[in-house]
Amino acid sequence: MSHGAAAYPSRREAGGPALAGVGRAVARLTLPVLLLLPALIIIVGLVGYPLAKTIWLSFTETRLGDLVDGSGEWIGLENYKEVFADEHLRTSLINTVAFGTACVIGTMVFGFGVALLLNQRLRGNWLFSLAVLLPWAVPALAASAIWRWLFDDRYGFVNWALVNIGFSSFQDYAWFADRESAYVAIFVTVVWQSFPFVALGLLAGLQTLPQETLHAASVDGASAWQRFRLVTLPLLRPIVAVLVVFSTIWDFKIFDQIYVMAQGVPDRAADTAAVTAYRESFALGHYGAGAAVAVVLFAILLVFSILYVRMIGREGRA
Amino acid sequence: MKGKRWLAASVLCGVFAVAGCGGSDDDEGTAAKSGGKISGTVTTWIMDPGSPKLQEVFNGYAKDFEAKHAGTDVKIEFVPWAQAHDKFTTAIAGGKVPDVAEMGTTWTPEFADQGAFEAVPAAGAGDYVSSLIDAATLDDEVWGKPWYAGARALIYRKDVLKKAGVEPPKTWDELKTAAATIKQKGGGIYPIAYTGLTEHYYLPTIWQAGGEIATKDGDSWKAALNSPEAVQAIDFYTSFYKKGYTPKAAIGWEEPDAQEAFINGDIAMLVAGGWTYNSIIQTKPELESKIGTVLEPAGPSGKDTAFAGGSHLVVFKESENTETANAFVDFMLEPANLNKFTSEIGFLPGTVAGIEESGYLEDPVRKPFAEQLLEHSAVYPPSPRWGALEGANIFDGVIQNVMKGKETPQQAAQSLAEKMDEEFAG
Repeated sequence: MSHGAAAYPSRREAGGPALAGVGRAVARLTLPVLLLLPALIIIVGLVGYPLAKTIWLSFTETRLGDLVDGSGEWIGLENYKEVFADEHLRTSLINTVAFGTACVIGTMVFGFGVALLLNQRLRGNWLFSLAVLLPWAVPALAASAIWRWLFDDRYGFVNWALVNIGFSSFQDYAWFADRESAYVAIFVTVVWQSFPFVALGLLAGLQTLPQETLHAASVDGASAWQRFRLVTLPLLRPIVAVLVVFSTIWDFKIFDQIYVMAQGVPDRAADTAAVTAYRESFALGHYGAGAAVAVVLFAILLVFSILYVRMIGREGRA
Repeated sequence: MKGKRWLAASVLCGVFAVAGCGGSDDDEGTAAKSGGKISGTVTTWIMDPGSPKLQEVFNGYAKDFEAKHAGTDVKIEFVPWAQAHDKFTTAIAGGKVPDVAEMGTTWTPEFADQGAFEAVPAAGAGDYVSSLIDAATLDDEVWGKPWYAGARALIYRKDVLKKAGVEPPKTWDELKTAAATIKQKGGGIYPIAYTGLTEHYYLPTIWQAGGEIATKDGDSWKAALNSPEAVQAIDFYTSFYKKGYTPKAAIGWEEPDAQEAFINGDIAMLVAGGWTYNSIIQTKPELESKIGTVLEPAGPSGKDTAFAGGSHLVVFKESENTETANAFVDFMLEPANLNKFTSEIGFLPGTVAGIEESGYLEDPVRKPFAEQLLEHSAVYPPSPRWGALEGANIFDGVIQNVMKGKETPQQAAQSLAEKMDEEFAG
């Protein structure tokens, strides 16, 4: 009550002449807006315009010539109908969600394992923390080319190793001749590339955990697994949620690894939406349909992101 | 009906008769006319020949040209074939084109249709190989100058065939028998690389079977793949994979992968052009004495047709320096410069005189490459849509499905014909 009473008169004073209030509000806003303006212009120019243009393109029939002079023909929802009717386009969206989800789970599980190991107070762990970062520092394209070679049918390390430990059926095994086996190879590549970020993020989280709580739990007789499940995990949940959001966005729009490693998979059956959008546009010259695939991918990512952000928000309030 | 399917085949046959001996007069004339004004930067995209020696030849053109015309700066950039179509498309869409580029003959009409190139003024009828002029013609104008041409023949490992006791195959049946024998007695070497991602391997088998890829229909083109001959060709081609005569991984191979496998000694026979042959013996000189060459095996129709490929040199309309760009193109086409490159790369120059001078016809290993181009080759339909068909790889996926046994050759022929007509219709 006292707080409200103190605020009331001051507002009253200012609110007298309405115009002055507006003027002051504008004055108060001018500086922040001015400061934000450069960033805003860049964001609108580099993100807003391409996004708007892509959405517009997705409602048009646009060929290369139309793209040059901007004369695409408006065809309403036709492109979207094609995205869901055409087997190849539809499959690429299903691939994106299924393979992307698998990659997120794989990255999180592996990242968690590495983080827990690094959190042990072992000698030389700082060296391992550094080493863990390395895959993340390799450009995705280079990593994909290297892994493609490692999975080569005749000269690859993977088949050589598998045959040498007794799996003789992997002699000349063609990993990229089937969607499923190709996905195994690409999954390994993607997880290898993206676990460092997750592992180090979780490690940072683990190191901020209150030791007293964990100690109290072990005094109460909780096993290691119980301590992890009932104490560590709930405390880390906000960090996990953020990392899952990031991983989802990265793994759903995965391009390089698929472009390099899945190009020989029969009938391009392992293509994901990002690659399909690119190929539909720049290889086939169907810019409208390509844009529609991109917009659907964008919508999927938006839905996932909103869901996660709301989940994190609830965590914060709780 | 059956006779008509052959109308468009063997286009190159006889066209050399009208080709004269080089465009040197014309070229020098152009260069001299604008002699004083030639200056500035010319960015040139050349398809990556894959060998440092050849890259040196191209870089040499740039240096020589710069030395001849002070104030010019020629930038040579190498673009891999596999990415080139995408790269041209994005460059044209983004308005960031080079000044000069090497253009695959099947792409020239497509990009010309988008208004990307400067027309070639008065391309002399006798100056160039006329089929390559045809391939560059759209709406009665010529959009690129023929640079070089070539056709694939069959190269084989003499030692492996000898060990297996088979003769170099001349027909489909002989190829099948040879493959079966090499598989048995070749000592772990795969008989042939019929890959999943190389249309220049499998599309010509349709001609060999006596079929057509597409026929001209008024101003447009119509797919001719829905025919018993095409079905027979697809069945023939894919049977090598199904029987294990080709490595399992080859379903996802492009041509360079097959070439690499041949160099590594994993493959006994390879469909290859003179350029591939040159690249192989440059990479692994000890193979030179072991490689033999024959024409592509003839199909049931008796035809042993291969695809006649090649390149044009084009000048982009959006180039800010078309004069110097044209001068550089003409410089590269000067006979002395042309020969420096074609003899090195294993392609044939665009003139009959050039071919005669090249010495190909006297070299027993190289002679089949020249014969294949001169007498046993055809070109794909010169439709503006063909480049998009190639770029989209509509064929590969279907052929791969047949290799995998997911589709029958009949289904494949039918769906390809449908996809092709869809693309021709725009």
